[in-house]
Amino acid sequence: MFLALRDLAFAKGRFLLMSMIIALVAFLMTLLSGLASGLIKNNISGLMALDVTHLAFEYNDRPNYRNSMVEREMWEGWRDAEGVLAVEPLGHTLFTARTPEGLPLDDVVLWGVEPGSFLEPEVTFGESLKGPDDGVIISALLANKHDVKLGDMIVLDRVLTKLTVIGITDEQNIGHVPVIYTPMRKWQEATYGPPGGPAPGESLPDILFDYASVIALKLTPDADIESVDIEWGTVTMDKQLAYEASLGYKEEVQTVQMIQGFMVVISALVIGAFFTIWTIQRTQEIGLVKALGGSSAYLLRDTMAQALILMLLAVGIGTFFAVWLGLSLEESGKPFMLVRDNIAGSSGLLIVAGLIGSMVSVRLIARIDPIIALGRTR
Amino acid sequence: MGLQVKDVVLELGDGDQKITALDHVSFGIAAGELLAVLGPSGAGKSSLLAVCGGLRHPTSGTVVIGDKELTAMHDSQLTRLRLKSIGFVFQQSNLISSLTSLDQLMLMVHLGGHRPTKADRDHAMSLLRSVDMAHRANRLPDQLSGGERQRIGIARALMTKPSLLLVDEPTSMLDRVRGRQIVELLSEQCHQHQVAAVMVTHDRSMLDAADRSLHIVDGRIQEAAVSATN
Ligand SMILES: Nc1ncnc2c1ncn2[C@@H]1O[C@H](COP(=O)(O)OP(=O)(O)OP(=O)(O)O)[C@@H](O)[C@H]1O
Ligand SMILES: [Mg+2]
Repeated sequence: MFLALRDLAFAKGRFLLMSMIIALVAFLMTLLSGLASGLIKNNISGLMALDVTHLAFEYNDRPNYRNSMVEREMWEGWRDAEGVLAVEPLGHTLFTARTPEGLPLDDVVLWGVEPGSFLEPEVTFGESLKGPDDGVIISALLANKHDVKLGDMIVLDRVLTKLTVIGITDEQNIGHVPVIYTPMRKWQEATYGPPGGPAPGESLPDILFDYASVIALKLTPDADIESVDIEWGTVTMDKQLAYEASLGYKEEVQTVQMIQGFMVVISALVIGAFFTIWTIQRTQEIGLVKALGGSSAYLLRDTMAQALILMLLAVGIGTFFAVWLGLSLEESGKPFMLVRDNIAGSSGLLIVAGLIGSMVSVRLIARIDPIIALGRTR
Repeated sequence: MGLQVKDVVLELGDGDQKITALDHVSFGIAAGELLAVLGPSGAGKSSLLAVCGGLRHPTSGTVVIGDKELTAMHDSQLTRLRLKSIGFVFQQSNLISSLTSLDQLMLMVHLGGHRPTKADRDHAMSLLRSVDMAHRANRLPDQLSGGERQRIGIARALMTKPSLLLVDEPTSMLDRVRGRQIVELLSEQCHQHQVAAVMVTHDRSMLDAADRSLHIVDGRIQEAAVSATN
């Protein structure tokens, strides 16, 4: 540490320049991590909030929320299977919506849930679901973005179904689209019934009410998913896989992870290049220290300590500024979320990459022959 | 104590390029004795220091410092021996550019894996005083003159209380008067600390400061020239 610290102080300029580069990379890494968390939240917060372990889709080679339709006998079949703690049908339909005045509210996803079931969300404002005609609970995203308030009415395009907002829950989206929790019967009406609802005096045929999109499941670890799937023509995914069935989720996460991966590799290379040049520049002095009786192990420890100090300082500074900027991004409602563990993880990864990069100097240092200290000129 | 070199042969390079840098060299020096080594350029003087300092393994022959036989040692043992028992003074002062004069000496304590104590510091300061450099203790090398750097180099070589001092052309960068002062300082330090010393030089006028001298030509000691200078 002795030499490492003196060298840091002596070659301030070089190390400062280097730490600025690392700090910038750390800054970007943290912003990316915030963006990744934000995107995930914006995309699938609705799914994340569902208190399920698995979701069963109608059998399909590429099952997703839009191409799946399940029948009553399927979810009742699941209900009787072993290792099943709870089963509820879940309806999923994408609509565009407007206010009664005709102002657009953009895309919304209607989620049909049985009022009072474990699928129903906690409300932050208003009240919970009751009968099919008593109203809906909306995602905070819809409330914030379009200023929809309790008691407001929402009209679905095409089917002209009218929904009254009785509750507002947290930000719960799927595929970046805000969720509207709708009583199951209302959802079935809107999804399968005629525009505007049944003609006056008539009621809709019962068969409409035997369908939903997916089956929400709470399973114990020993549930025999495969055989129930085969019996009822479903394909069941655990929650994590079910995220990937959401539009764009996989691509977004992969893109961000790829960029982060590149940045980690770039930092390792940049640090590697820096320490290579730094070591080559110090060849004469390293040879001298060896001739004086310094072991390679001492010099290596010293260099690694130097790299660690550099990385810790630079990553610390870069992360600090990114968090500072991130807090204001978060407040402005952008798809950005600071998650402490993720930020610590990406910063840690960066530090490890830097140390790995600095290890290229290990071979260089080990190879320097102390005999050069006896050389006439350098 | 002291240094015993017996029948050392050092071959360098290989194939057509192979040369015999040291050819059956033998000599010995006692503690507190300063031996001057003279010879033309390319004679093998630096090679001799390298072998005595454990920086090169001789092709054959033995080198014994105190009771330690160098030729039987691994590189890591040689490194430890250099730290404990050998002090090097190099042709160019060879200081570390980021360290102050005092730290050049303190580095030796750190290399030994110890935390410096007050006693180490006092020892370093007293060495700096003995080479008349105490007033430059906090200067970096590029704020020192060539002679001053050479004096720091000598103080550093004595920091670990070595039993052998190896000195390679300490005066080549200095004018005659400064050179003379450095050699006298070396001789004085080596007598005072009872260190065996080998000093390579080009300059015959420095010989009278040494206890003995030895001439090398083409890797061989010129028998007639082994002499006591005073
Ligand atoms: N690594 C090497 N490979 C091959 N030959 C070498 C090597 N190092 C030195 N030599 C040769 O060994 C001989 C002795 O070199 P050495 O450096 O010991 O001479 P010297 O007496 O110190 O000369 P100078 O007074 O110029 O410093 C020279 O002929 C030199 O060219
Ligand atoms: Mg030489």
